[in-house]
Amino acid sequence: MKSPEELAKERMRRIEAAVNLEEPDRVPFSGVGGDVIAAYAGITQEEFCFDYKKAKEAIVKFNRDFPCDWTFAAGFVGVGVPPLTYAFADDPDVSATVGMAMFGTIHDITGDVCTRYPGREIESNCSPQFIGGKFMEVEEYDDLIENPVKFIAEVIIPRICRNMNTPRKAMAAMIRLGIEAEKIKSFAMEVGMELAKLGYPSIPITLGYTPLDLIGDGLRDELNLILDLRRYPDKVRKACEALVEPILKVGLALKPLGIKYAFIPLHLNEYLSPELYNEFYWPYLKEVIMGFAKEGIKSFVFFEGRHDAHLETILELPKGWGIAYFEKTDVRKAKEILKGHTCVMGGVPISLIVSGTPEKIDSYVKELLEEVKPGGGYILATSVGIAPKETPVENIKALIEAVEKYGKY
Amino acid sequence: MVSNAKELAEKRMARLMAAINLEEPDKVPLAGVGGDIVPAYAGISMYEYCYDVEKAVKATEKFIKDFPCDWPFAASVVGLDGRVFNVAFSEFPDICINLTFITGPMHDALGDKYYRYPGREISPDSSPQFIGGAFMEADEYDKLIADPVKFIAETVLPRACRNLETPRKAMAAMVRLGREISNFNALMGQIVGKMIENGYPAMALGGAYAPLDLIGDFLRGVENLLLDIRRCPEKVKAAAEALVEPIMNYALAHKSIGANLAFIPLHLNEYLSPKLYKEFYWPTLKEVIERLVKEGFKVMVFFEGKHDAHLETILELPKGWGVAYFEKTDVVKAKEVLKGHTCVMGGIPMGLIVGGTPAQIDEYVKNLLEKVKPGGGFILAPGVGTAPRETPLENIKALVEAVEKYG
Amino acid sequence: MLEEILKSIVEMEEEEAVKKAKEYLDGGGDPQKLLEVCRDAMGEVGSRFEKGEYFLSELILGGEIFRQIMEFTLPKLQSGSVKKIGKIVLGTVKEDVHNIGKDIFKVFAEASGFEVIDLGIDTPEEKFVEAVKEHKPDIVGMSCLITAGVTSMKKTVDKLKEAGLRDSVKIIIGGGRVDESVKEFAGADAWADDAAKGVRLCKQLIGVEG
Repeated sequence: MKSPEELAKERMRRIEAAVNLEEPDRVPFSGVGGDVIAAYAGITQEEFCFDYKKAKEAIVKFNRDFPCDWTFAAGFVGVGVPPLTYAFADDPDVSATVGMAMFGTIHDITGDVCTRYPGREIESNCSPQFIGGKFMEVEEYDDLIENPVKFIAEVIIPRICRNMNTPRKAMAAMIRLGIEAEKIKSFAMEVGMELAKLGYPSIPITLGYTPLDLIGDGLRDELNLILDLRRYPDKVRKACEALVEPILKVGLALKPLGIKYAFIPLHLNEYLSPELYNEFYWPYLKEVIMGFAKEGIKSFVFFEGRHDAHLETILELPKGWGIAYFEKTDVRKAKEILKGHTCVMGGVPISLIVSGTPEKIDSYVKELLEEVKPGGGYILATSVGIAPKETPVENIKALIEAVEKYGKY
Repeated sequence: MVSNAKELAEKRMARLMAAINLEEPDKVPLAGVGGDIVPAYAGISMYEYCYDVEKAVKATEKFIKDFPCDWPFAASVVGLDGRVFNVAFSEFPDICINLTFITGPMHDALGDKYYRYPGREISPDSSPQFIGGAFMEADEYDKLIADPVKFIAETVLPRACRNLETPRKAMAAMVRLGREISNFNALMGQIVGKMIENGYPAMALGGAYAPLDLIGDFLRGVENLLLDIRRCPEKVKAAAEALVEPIMNYALAHKSIGANLAFIPLHLNEYLSPKLYKEFYWPTLKEVIERLVKEGFKVMVFFEGKHDAHLETILELPKGWGVAYFEKTDVVKAKEVLKGHTCVMGGIPMGLIVGGTPAQIDEYVKNLLEKVKPGGGFILAPGVGTAPRETPLENIKALVEAVEKYG
Repeated sequence: MLEEILKSIVEMEEEEAVKKAKEYLDGGGDPQKLLEVCRDAMGEVGSRFEKGEYFLSELILGGEIFRQIMEFTLPKLQSGSVKKIGKIVLGTVKEDVHNIGKDIFKVFAEASGFEVIDLGIDTPEEKFVEAVKEHKPDIVGMSCLITAGVTSMKKTVDKLKEAGLRDSVKIIIGGGRVDESVKEFAGADAWADDAAKGVRLCKQLIGVEG
């Protein structure tokens, strides 16, 4: 029986070998998370999002019973308000605590209109959801370009957050945010300690964003932004340029904690033709990734949807730059193109775990690994980490066993 | 041990409550000293006391353990009066009650010009100090009167606090302030835990303020205000009246934490002639006290300096309203005037504790208690709770023993 | 003129397309013909998308151009003169509050001549059942973005079965997280994760050439 420390080291080595494009002892496996964690613990989504103690117990229980190498997906509890994070770009100590605080309690404090939380706007057993909205007019691109942080903090936040729409309410809400941030900090530390006891490596992660996604998700709404690309291309480009620095500042605010990875979830990548992607999206995303790389931080990019049309652009990054986590892109094809250059992650459709059988999962993983395992540089994960509450636990078990069975090098 | 501590705490609480309710307890209750002597006794700097939670808790525990009293009121708080923030946030009950004391880290978060903290503006061994200042012009009274909370929160605070100068800076500053509130509550939680362990009653303390003091201390500065009283008396009066409501909102917010004693430290009382006191200071202070009493609170007023000229006004309050804590007022005289009406607190000049000898202290307490003990309704306390770091420890011991002997 | 309009829409020349459509109507052009041309253009945009020549952003922009032209074209059409090829009851399923996928699909479905009854977001199973009873659609379209929606789709199909309505409609599911195995799991007839494919499959489901 390995001690938790030994187990954690072994798992860490496995993940790091894959990231460094080597062959570990076995294909590392990043487990599922999301709604199933609360369901498995017998608590509601509302409790999971608003009750630190219950959330902690649920996360620990789930990770005890469904072991994996990397509990990345099981660490997140809710959805956040991206502009709120970037409003604090000039205050790294603040962005470091508030930036990652995605919890229902924060939603209660901000009264934001861009997320929906169980037991609040939606039923107590629904997943928390981000829906965004339009909070900026076309005429305001110049303000955004001139001083993005000031514009976001002073103009956008009062529009998004009902509890911050007057100066006094904003001050009170900010104080509450600070008080809550301390609670979230202890929550995160306690979860970390419990997971360490279970032999999980500590992999602190910071957050990155693609400038165009920040405009789409947090300011203009994605549909308007798509139209802006045609109507006001220069403004959009300049705005993207202006957002690179605050995005890096927020991401690097956590550097003193010894973070090694910056998670960058992409959104609009799939929406764009190669022409638009290369003009509005990729140059600035690349700048962000390179900015992190300069500080010794590897990027961990989630390529939402199908990234097939843009796969080759990844090769423009320096070898070993980080992890490319694909949702619907065929990882076999991705592995083929990125072999020896980029660690590839993903491969198992979440729908297979939700609707398949243990036998189907076993044979799927077997076939998949035969193709993508050779040569290393691969982390197995589901297409998205969020498993719905009805996900059959025997399917999660089957996935874990299949990796154990077919993943060894 | 635990049950002993509990019994002891109950005994001390009963002693205090008897005095407050104008009865004779088993012994005259003693409110102990605190202040700079607390960190000095623990061998830490004032800076450490103000900024290092762990050390502050240890120092407090050591002090209240070694110098027992009935009410370690003065030894338990590491912060300066923040009533302007209480008023600014008076619309938000959950927040305003957390800003009665501005700690060193909160001061850092705000970047305010009201306070000076050791290791920041002043040397690591200096006491934290309130300086105040003028952050409102004489021609702004109308704005203050029209909407005091808005004016203070949106106009005064950005002037008084460097980190609130722009809305963007204010956002970050407020988050930091929230974090420090959280830290302070954790500190107080630990101190209360230590108090309970050591047999002290845990009493949730509320707070209020004399409206005119709020103007003098935090808005106009004392000197400007004294001139305003002559130059624009009606505006000053109207402003004090306008502040009653937000001060009451702040004071009543303490109901949520189960507080039933509200502390009001006075400042300008000594500066004013009976005529000015009665016209500008007392009416709104009286309204605040009376309303608190109606809401079920006892009020403890600290009458700074010499309050002799205004003693009789206290009798206008309902009998048993609370505690009158005097600094330099002659408590023998005060007891005489307020007997059967108001619990009197104080009596030990700080100079005696700092500069006297144990024998002098013994003698002084004996004489004093002979005069003020009969009939109860008296709490013995130093004129101000904050003892300097050079205070001879044997004098503090002598005080504790004298009360034991003659109380 | 109509051919130029068609070309402008397909080539994503927003201002040009809208301007020419206005000129066409102002010059006494037939609104019915304009509508048909716009529909053809949207069909072409969809087919370019399916060929991988166009991406989501072009679908969105195409929909926006169509919407702008329809704003001044539809009022000029006699009511009842617009022929519908079929009826779709459409909604984002229970527990999911996202509307983007559903809305993009709706524009294309309407542009293809479908009548769409939009039930909105977070639609309870019963509401789908009621809407089927009331509107007697050819097709029920269910959308979801989050993974939790997958099980809501299955529950909705089950409810339609219980109500004895399953065989009276075709069911298509759509959204970012659906695929063949979700279709099987939910018991739907077709699935699509983009609007163009979705509309093409709807036409097939009711026997109209895609």
